Amino acid sequence: MSRPRSINRLYAAKQKLCSIKSQASLAIAIIALAACSHVDPHAANIRGVAYVRVDDIIKHHPLYPQLDQLNNAIAAINLEASLPHAPLSPAEISRQTQALNAQLKASADRANATLGAKQQEYAQQEHDADVAALKAAGIDPAAAGLGAQMSATSQQQAQAAAQAAQSGYAQYQASVINQDNAAASAVAQQLGKEADEKFRARADQYQQEETDLSLRLAQADAAQRLALNTKLTNLAMDTDSRKSVSDQLNALDKKESDQEAALHAQHVRDLAAYRAQLGQQTTGAISKQVGQIRTETNAKLTARQAEVGAQIRSLGAAPVASQSLPPDIKKKLLDIHQQFVTKFQADAQNVMAGYQQTKDDLDRQFAALHGQNVGAVGAAAKQLADLQKRHDDLQAQMLSQIQRDAVRIAKEMGFTVVFDNVQAAAGGYDLTNDVLHDIESQHE
Amino acid sequence: MRKRLISTVLATAILAVAFAPAAIAADLTDIGFLDQAQIGSMPVFAAANQQLQQYQAQLNDQFKAAMRGARSDADKQRITAQFQQEFTDKQNELIGPLFQRAQAIIGNVAAAKKLSVVVDKRIIVYGGVDITNDVIAAMRSPQAVSAPPPPPTSSPIGFVDESALDSAQKVKDATDALQKFETDQQPVYAQRAKDAKSDIEKQQIAADFQKAVQAKRDSLLTPLVDQTRSVTASVARGKGLFLVIDRADIVYGGTDITQDVQTALNK
Repeated sequence: MSRPRSINRLYAAKQKLCSIKSQASLAIAIIALAACSHVDPHAANIRGVAYVRVDDIIKHHPLYPQLDQLNNAIAAINLEASLPHAPLSPAEISRQTQALNAQLKASADRANATLGAKQQEYAQQEHDADVAALKAAGIDPAAAGLGAQMSATSQQQAQAAAQAAQSGYAQYQASVINQDNAAASAVAQQLGKEADEKFRARADQYQQEETDLSLRLAQADAAQRLALNTKLTNLAMDTDSRKSVSDQLNALDKKESDQEAALHAQHVRDLAAYRAQLGQQTTGAISKQVGQIRTETNAKLTARQAEVGAQIRSLGAAPVASQSLPPDIKKKLLDIHQQFVTKFQADAQNVMAGYQQTKDDLDRQFAALHGQNVGAVGAAAKQLADLQKRHDDLQAQMLSQIQRDAVRIAKEMGFTVVFDNVQAAAGGYDLTNDVLHDIESQHE
Repeated sequence: MRKRLISTVLATAILAVAFAPAAIAADLTDIGFLDQAQIGSMPVFAAANQQLQQYQAQLNDQFKAAMRGARSDADKQRITAQFQQEFTDKQNELIGPLFQRAQAIIGNVAAAKKLSVVVDKRIIVYGGVDITNDVIAAMRSPQAVSAPPPPPTSSPIGFVDESALDSAQKVKDATDALQKFETDQQPVYAQRAKDAKSDIEKQQIAADFQKAVQAKRDSLLTPLVDQTRSVTASVARGKGLFLVIDRADIVYGGTDITQDVQTALNK
């Protein structure tokens, strides 16, 4: 009987424990629920203020792996571009400089051609619009001197195109002079370096010859020297004999050192002469190559100046605008004109921006050619720009989603203001996890 | 029955404690923000900036010419300092008056709207009082601007000058060590990337490099950053501040706790 009673007691105790456990679980669950989902935004330690750690959300965003991949691709290009370029010979520098200058000239030509075409296109469109406006007002375009109007418009656009051409020429001139100065300096540096290397090689060769001679002499005299040294170890040797042996040893040393000194002196003379010869050769080569560069520079600038001059001359002179039109028609024509001038200016700006972008890249390629570390250039730079754009677009998309969600959650929870990028928080509510969970749930 | 009653009372008490507000307090509604980028792109600022850039370009040419004539490092330092001073003087001349006018306008608008603090728009995700249009309108107005009243002495938003905190010797040492690590490691990883057979391999090497730098950053800088944040939070708590932001994001008002944080960090 005692056994069943004890079992009952145990059962009752277990039931009680379960009841306490379930009450405790309930309490914990309620507290947890209160802490997680019910925040009083108006509590004294919050007062309507919240903050989000946007950088942390981005790192845990479901799209972050894609962003990270783009980051790695960008980093890989930058990493490879950070390696110093192998030094080029003056001939290679010169060849690549010519190629870059040709690209720069082609880019400038394209820009100018586009500007010229745009100018003509807009002049024609404006003329058509003017004709239509005059006809609509019952005025004969020819009688109203529309040709003059059109020409005046064309003249203004021509002036803008001429300004752009002049500005393009000034940029081209500065760029070519800078590049050719740098090329001349790089050629001088490279030739100087080559001369130094040749001199160092000759000096090393002489040094080796002197070492070899020293070794040869020591080996040749080794047997005699050993014999003399062995004699000196004989304690019974008299003073005169000892002196004679010592003198022979000294004579041996002197013979060796004299031969070595003679060879060294000969080498010093040879090296001095070689340095002078290298100096003359280098100076000659530098002035020849720099002279060639300068001639090319002048030729390029003269040719370009002639092109720009011809281009500007082809734009024509300004005729006088008609004064006989009624004021409202004049205003209408002026509006049309303003509209096309604005369009042309916008297009011209785009064309010049495109040219500038190409020029910047070519300048960087040029700097890279002369050993400067300028990062990725050419095709790699293009790939880098493309990756950077994709990266920025994706990041903007993620930020926009975070912003949207944070605003919605803040409204739902009743906050008055939400900050980003706080240094430290002693109050307010951290909305980061709420936003993150929300974003994660949308991507599940 | 009695036990059930006790349980019910207990649960109700827990619920009451859990859901009761900590205290009744008014929400902070005196926080304003300004789109500084928009102000900076106003024609008046853009024109001044363009002038400054032109001046800088001229100065750069003169600087290069002067540096070519420098005979010693001391000469170079002197020339650099001289040109920096010239640039700063020009900046003060061109931008200074505009900046002062903008500051006075911001102060007046903030006072009129009873704002205790105005921050940059970029750190506001939601809410706050936008004063950008008011400031732009006042900037465009030809009327003279009166001196603004001083900003409120106490604000729930504190700020620290991060650049001042970063100038602490131990932060500098850690930054230098990180920089050296990056400089030393970069050629090693760059060579590996160059020798890699595929783009994927290159990207993996780049990722490894970034990971190595991050690990170094975590060991050198992160403890210092964490310590600074913890100390800043503690100082903020002591001063009854809610949030602390970077000085660069403060436009008007706010409580500067940089000195207190520096003192606490040096203890």
